Amino acid sequence: MCTPYGGDGSAADPRSLAEVDLDRRHVLRLGAAGGAGIVLSTALDSPVLAAKGRKRAYVIVLDGMIPGEIDSGLMPRLKALRDAGTAFPNARSLPIMETIPNHVMMMTGVRPRRNGVPANAIYDRRAKIHRDLDRPSDLRFPTVIERLRKQGFSTGTVLSKEYLYGIFGTRANHRWEPFPIIPISGHAPDLFTMQALHSMVAQHDPNLVFVNLGDCDRWGHTDITGTTLRALRTAALIQLDLQIGQFVAMLKRTGRWRNSLIVFLADHSMDWSRPDRVITLAPRLARDPLLAGRVEVSQNGGADLLYWTGPRARQAEAVRRMRRIARSTPGVLSTHTPKRLRLGARAGDLVVYCKAGWRFSDPAPISNPIPGNHGHPATAPIPFFLSGGHPVVRKRRSPARARTIDVAPTVGEFFGLRPPRGGYDGTSRLR
Amino acid sequence: MTAPGTPAPAADAAGTPDPSRRTVLRTAAVGAAGAVAVAAGPVGPAEAASGYFRHGVASGDPRPRRVILWTRVTPTRAATPGSGRGPRIQVRWQVATDRAFRRIVAQGTVRTGPARDHTVKLDARGLRPDTAYFYRFSYRGRTSPVGRTRTAPAHGALPKRVRFGVVSCANLEAGYFHAYRHLAKRGDLDAILHLGDYLYENGVGEYAMGQRNVVVRPHRPRHEMVTLRDYRQRHAQYKQDPDLRALHARHPFIVTWDDHELTNDTWAAGAENHNPGEGRFRARRAAAFRAYDEWMPVRMGPRTRVGDGYRLYRRLRYGRLLDIAMLDLRTYRSQQSRLTPTPIPNPDPILSRPDRTITGAAQMRWLKRVLRRSRAQWKIVGNPVMIAPILFPPLPNEITGPVTDLIGLLPADGLPYNADQWDGYTADRSELLRHLADHGITDTVFVTGDIHSAWVSDLPVDAGTYPLRSRSVATEMVCTSVTSNNLKDILGAPPRSASLVVEAAIQTLNRHVRYLDFDSHGYGVLDITPQRTQMDYFVTGARQQRRAGSRWSTSWQTLAGTQRVRAASGPVPTRRGDR
Repeated sequence: MCTPYGGDGSAADPRSLAEVDLDRRHVLRLGAAGGAGIVLSTALDSPVLAAKGRKRAYVIVLDGMIPGEIDSGLMPRLKALRDAGTAFPNARSLPIMETIPNHVMMMTGVRPRRNGVPANAIYDRRAKIHRDLDRPSDLRFPTVIERLRKQGFSTGTVLSKEYLYGIFGTRANHRWEPFPIIPISGHAPDLFTMQALHSMVAQHDPNLVFVNLGDCDRWGHTDITGTTLRALRTAALIQLDLQIGQFVAMLKRTGRWRNSLIVFLADHSMDWSRPDRVITLAPRLARDPLLAGRVEVSQNGGADLLYWTGPRARQAEAVRRMRRIARSTPGVLSTHTPKRLRLGARAGDLVVYCKAGWRFSDPAPISNPIPGNHGHPATAPIPFFLSGGHPVVRKRRSPARARTIDVAPTVGEFFGLRPPRGGYDGTSRLR
Repeated sequence: MTAPGTPAPAADAAGTPDPSRRTVLRTAAVGAAGAVAVAAGPVGPAEAASGYFRHGVASGDPRPRRVILWTRVTPTRAATPGSGRGPRIQVRWQVATDRAFRRIVAQGTVRTGPARDHTVKLDARGLRPDTAYFYRFSYRGRTSPVGRTRTAPAHGALPKRVRFGVVSCANLEAGYFHAYRHLAKRGDLDAILHLGDYLYENGVGEYAMGQRNVVVRPHRPRHEMVTLRDYRQRHAQYKQDPDLRALHARHPFIVTWDDHELTNDTWAAGAENHNPGEGRFRARRAAAFRAYDEWMPVRMGPRTRVGDGYRLYRRLRYGRLLDIAMLDLRTYRSQQSRLTPTPIPNPDPILSRPDRTITGAAQMRWLKRVLRRSRAQWKIVGNPVMIAPILFPPLPNEITGPVTDLIGLLPADGLPYNADQWDGYTADRSELLRHLADHGITDTVFVTGDIHSAWVSDLPVDAGTYPLRSRSVATEMVCTSVTSNNLKDILGAPPRSASLVVEAAIQTLNRHVRYLDFDSHGYGVLDITPQRTQMDYFVTGARQQRRAGSRWSTSWQTLAGTQRVRAASGPVPTRRGDR
């Protein structure tokens, strides 16, 4: 049975039984906490509900955080954790530097070519629609979440964004459906996300919890003072630091800390663009007689994915033209084949990155009014460090280039999990 | 803080005749009659027994499994530097893991002769990464002084720390090389980064110490170096300075040149200090390059062979901790604007013309590729001239850029006081800094020489809107000169007096400049860890005195991931023993 978060993580009151939602999620929504409505769900078919052994791992994604922000003076608690743990200051996000693909890479340990999730948004050739990769079936590689479950460990997800909640589906034993959702941003504030994390730890104490904290990213996107004051984002950083501090304090109070590994990282960092620095490729492509009506543009913030929908025989020529047009467009940084970026076929025929301080807005210049932006190489640097009281966490700094793809191997090694078939593309950062 | 065991430095007494100077001049006069002018320092037993090896030994450009070893042999009395005389000879070299050469790990022979001024340069291979070695040469049964060197860590290694000495601008006529001597005492350095102006071209008294132009030690040859013979002789003279010789023997060098290795304010097809009476510029440059290639422990071409090319820009790697990109900012650059003399703010609109270059197209492509592809955490750029904008005032590029494009009356970034730096080539600077921003390249630190003063700066993409809108994408740490005149020397003012006004004015207008010292001579110690890169600034004492102390002045650091500088509380502790 679920028990809600009682403040110290050790006690809680029973809450109402939520409705059974078998058709979509096959989960049993078990509890709600307070007015905030902390509702946790537990998979009906989960073979294991209780944790196995003492080891605990928490992967906490500080969505959209820039590495230097930890040293800004706004985040003393996070800085102290980093300085006492194993830090990787050379860490980077991987293409496409967006939320969904990097969360998927974290949990699979393999590149999009193998896991099937190259971007937030794609053009679905079969359905002939543009859509987010937010369906459980979009993820085509076993995650460390479900592989741990198979080995008898319990797992949980506390993901603040609806599309993350969607794609990871019922892979974890326990999960939280983000609530309340802020309109437009599509995410739950960190305050509620952290309450849910506390609840999940208090009630189920899973071996692994995968957490996404979205405020930093979402306020970065929508903050119209972004290039100068970044007022909302600054407030979010301060709040996030407090929340992290409370979580760590709870782990220490309840004795979990000494058995815990916490992986702190971002999925990508953040860039800000001015209203006059917007790239709209669709009309430019449409002016080419070969490409007109035969190219779909899937916009991913600082990256556009271009899909040739014409006859296969003319694909090579079409890609050449797309590349030429894109490269001649002000604000475009570079073009790449999805194969070179190891993104797989779903990423289309050409990836176009923008320069720092720009953003894509397709199909029209008003399609993307958001100043905060990521997806392009400018947003690749991320914070990445290991914390926790478990002896595997040593105080050191490593110049190794850690990547989001390294999370699954790290967590897997922590629990003694064998690599997946074909091995990881990432590297364990415990050594 | 004063370094242990060293007296606090005394201020220069530029312009005041003193006994030490007269002593030196007498020494030079003796030297003029025959052998060597500046071999006035203490001579060790090995050197005394090694008449064939009068110019010491050196190593450079360390890689994980190889390092350049260098010496110069004087096989006969007549075979003086630049003479073109003397036999072709064979020299033996040895590398060992111990100073007594009981455990020799590499050895061989190499030929030299008058065609290469009897210099010896070879790439010793088959070494182990991140390892200290001793090396020596022998000729006709006599051995050279023993040098010590160190290989770089393996490419995949994760070093916890790498430490360099940082120096630039050592004018022999302006004083003694205290910085070299103090660095030679340290055993905790991986290498020395020499950022140029290793030697000066001037004739005696043309550019010496202070406002009164006191010649502390006269150059040889006495005239400005122009021919290959001149360049060889000047290199030989510098190599005989005991402090420089000690430093070369103690640590490997990673060098680049600035202008004075050739002549003042060099550009691709000329120089401020070159006139038609001195012959064709390209011939002079070829001579300077040739002598540099012969006399410096550096890889300049596809191989180590002298004359196989003069490409000096190159990358060196220290595992995953750092890459070093050493730049050549003289050979390919456009001519400097001379609308106003330095330091008068220069309103020449050509400064921001996109067809002007300081790097040349090929080097810029190479540098951008190195920075983009580097997997190392820190990207250290060995940068001969300052890249931080110093403008009066810095103008917001997003406003002035379009206006400049339209009317072309002013430089886009603002009016620089020194158009010989990157400020005179703003299109290249903008391209490079935007490249860092566009590709999310972090932890890039420019380590710079040339300007005879110490500077520490953030490097914003647009200095005119920094820090409110524009962000910093890298940092710059500029080391001061070993001896070459700085502002107080030129003004003839006491230290920390007149310069303070100028420093305050510059920092007020250029908010990215966080530290500036126009008055001191000395050196830097650059300490790099995964956590931060820190430069400790050390100030040395009176240049005209043979011995002078060294004291720590200040330390600045860049924390990983921040692209900004901040003051550090103190210097890194000196480690005991050799690395």
